[in-house]
Amino acid sequence: MSTLQIIANVWDKHLMTMRTIEHLQMFSIALLLSIIIGVTVGVFIYMKPKTANTVLNFLNIVETIPDLALIVLLLPILKLGAGPTIAACVLYSILPIARNTYTGLKGVDEQYTYVAHAIGMSPREALFKVRIPMSLPLIAGGIRIALVFCMGVVTLGGLVAAGGLGTVLQNGIQLYQKDVILIAGLWTGLLAVFLDGFAGIVEKKLHERYGTW
Amino acid sequence: MQSKRLFDRIDSIQFKGVTKKYGSVFAVKDLDLEIQGGELLILIGPSGSGKTTALRMMNRMIEQDSGTVTINGLDTREVDPVRLRRNMGYVIQNIGLFPHMTIGENIGLVPKLEGWDKNRIEKRVRELLDFVSLPPEMFMNRYPRQLSGGQQQRIGLARAMAMDPPLFLMDEPFGALDPILRKQLQKEFVKIKNEINRTIVFVTHDIEEALILGDRIAIMDQAKLVQVGPPEELIFNPVNDLVADIVDAKRKFKHMDTLNVKDLMSPFEEKYAFDGKMEACDAVEEMTSKDIENAFVFDGEEFLGHVTMIDLMKCRTKAQKLADIARPVKNFQPLDSVALALSEMKKSKEHLAIVMDSKHPIGILVSDEVLLKLI
Amino acid sequence: MVILETVLEATWEHIVLVYTTLFVSIAVSIPLAFAALYSKKLEFVVMKFANLVQAVPSFAVVAIMVPLLGIGFTPAVVAIMLRALLPIIKNTYIGLSNVDPALIDYAEGIGLSQWQINIHIRLPNAYPAMFAGIKFAGILANSVAVLTAFIGSGGLGEIIFQGLIGYNTSTLLAGAIPAIMLAILIDLSFTMIEKKVTPGYMKG
Repeated sequence: MSTLQIIANVWDKHLMTMRTIEHLQMFSIALLLSIIIGVTVGVFIYMKPKTANTVLNFLNIVETIPDLALIVLLLPILKLGAGPTIAACVLYSILPIARNTYTGLKGVDEQYTYVAHAIGMSPREALFKVRIPMSLPLIAGGIRIALVFCMGVVTLGGLVAAGGLGTVLQNGIQLYQKDVILIAGLWTGLLAVFLDGFAGIVEKKLHERYGTW
Repeated sequence: MQSKRLFDRIDSIQFKGVTKKYGSVFAVKDLDLEIQGGELLILIGPSGSGKTTALRMMNRMIEQDSGTVTINGLDTREVDPVRLRRNMGYVIQNIGLFPHMTIGENIGLVPKLEGWDKNRIEKRVRELLDFVSLPPEMFMNRYPRQLSGGQQQRIGLARAMAMDPPLFLMDEPFGALDPILRKQLQKEFVKIKNEINRTIVFVTHDIEEALILGDRIAIMDQAKLVQVGPPEELIFNPVNDLVADIVDAKRKFKHMDTLNVKDLMSPFEEKYAFDGKMEACDAVEEMTSKDIENAFVFDGEEFLGHVTMIDLMKCRTKAQKLADIARPVKNFQPLDSVALALSEMKKSKEHLAIVMDSKHPIGILVSDEVLLKLI
Repeated sequence: MVILETVLEATWEHIVLVYTTLFVSIAVSIPLAFAALYSKKLEFVVMKFANLVQAVPSFAVVAIMVPLLGIGFTPAVVAIMLRALLPIIKNTYIGLSNVDPALIDYAEGIGLSQWQINIHIRLPNAYPAMFAGIKFAGILANSVAVLTAFIGSGGLGEIIFQGLIGYNTSTLLAGAIPAIMLAILIDLSFTMIEKKVTPGYMKG
């Protein structure tokens, strides 16, 4: 059988189209939640700088927990499936997004906010119209990091019956089928690299548009 | 790795037809210069004159495009550059010390690389610290960031002397210091220069420094050598207007009799005022953190005298208050004649005086060696 | 129910796995970082490659080892190394190259050879960044080591997988908790080392 036929075989047998969709679904939900929560947390600790250190330290500790262990910790609460997977993903992703949001907001040169106030913007308007746009490059950077984390965690979801491409990998290893592993592994890798690359381009564009350095 | 000594004494250094170009711009053009063994030769000129380039060609940090640089007849291009540099002392303006090493480690670095044993290195480091008036017990284990500018510069010199080289290359070593400190270190350096009796090539842009320190002065401008000779020759027989301007002969020396103390003095800054009740050791720390080496001691409004940081270094053996150590100095009024003030200071061999306006200190007068030579 | 002995044995296997990999990674990364100083091309290739691998999910990296290298300890080490190399090389390289050029110029002026400059000036300057990179690599290694149990390396992942098969909460925690504790231990110990190696003039 030619290579293409092998790939097509494996693809159908292991329902890879469905798995890919499951995978991306979980990934998107998780990422979206992470962005919303992450940016909110970031803005919050920026407005209340005294809480910054405590929050960031706590998140740092979460960061060191091995991915699988985090999912395991959530199992008693969320049972098996997509629940703990998405939750673990979000928990991991809050730090990079929140931290970058915070740093980004802090880093916006004082003179721009000064001008914003001088021309009559309220603090709220200044926040949304000046500070946040100017922090976008950094926030994008944080989201990119979270993106890579999420792809990783969602892949692990396969081990806790969440579906997704991790399931195919798991099957491949358990059945010791090299072609399955290779195809699933390379496909997952490709997706991840592609998404990361895409995020990189977005980051760069934002830098060009909003960055001052 | 032991490098053999290339020369024990410098007899002469020759630049013959040396040229260096960057693109279409000449950094040094057709330089013919001889440096005599045992002298301190100053290289001075405006920026871009080529003085630093010429200096850096002597230790092959820069390689000439044409011409030869020979030391005692030996062409610098025929020696391994690392070995060449180990035979010279190199002192520069800002970065003289590696921040991640202690003072002791900094001074002892090249000896260590040369394979000296620990005891020999330590002995040499102590010797050198004493030589530059910084007590070893206090300074050997400190880090450069804990030192003031003046102290760092002293260590830089000590480090250059570690291997006892016959030749020193110095590139504006006092350039980053404030005027009072600079004059102080220049004065000390004159003493050192006579003691070590080596060949020194010294780059500066400060003509006063050149006139004080130099046996001969080489004036460079736009990559060319304009004139070289002892200070008197440059002042009284300048070869062109440029030289005369640089030496500033006309302005200052001509109107010397009309100058007042207030024209020449440095303003008195708060940082130089110290209370007589302060302990000597505390004063040393205070002076280090303020980056100064001179202090004027007061008891309330009353002026007691002057102390230098070096005087206070002995504080370890005896606890003393500043009021006990302060030495009285001459006291002048702003409108006094500079010529008179300086001759008085020369007679009593003092190099600093305080300038008071009725009760308040308003300035510090530093004796000007150059003017003194000409009074 | 899992016996304490099994947990301890698994923890030990896990530690061996993580530290062996770290050790090998450091041994490989430092010469590479030095080499990257001298060759722009090498620097480019290494960075691009390592950056690429970083984006791939750990589980996929671990899985791909099987068709390529089989199962067991060695493939596990390779899988973990692919993760751990980048932070170490990148940080070491930045630390080595980020020295004030004026300082290098001065070092040359007083007669230090290039190699002596590398050892006495660049390397000490790189320690803080290097150890920060090693710390990060350690945390990553710890995480991936949990997964490599799936390809037969032993370690705490083994216990977690048993727990998943039987869906036994206590077994699961018996594997997860030590793994978390190890992570915190690695983080704390390397933070301490980092502090010790950062000289005062670089702090803050």
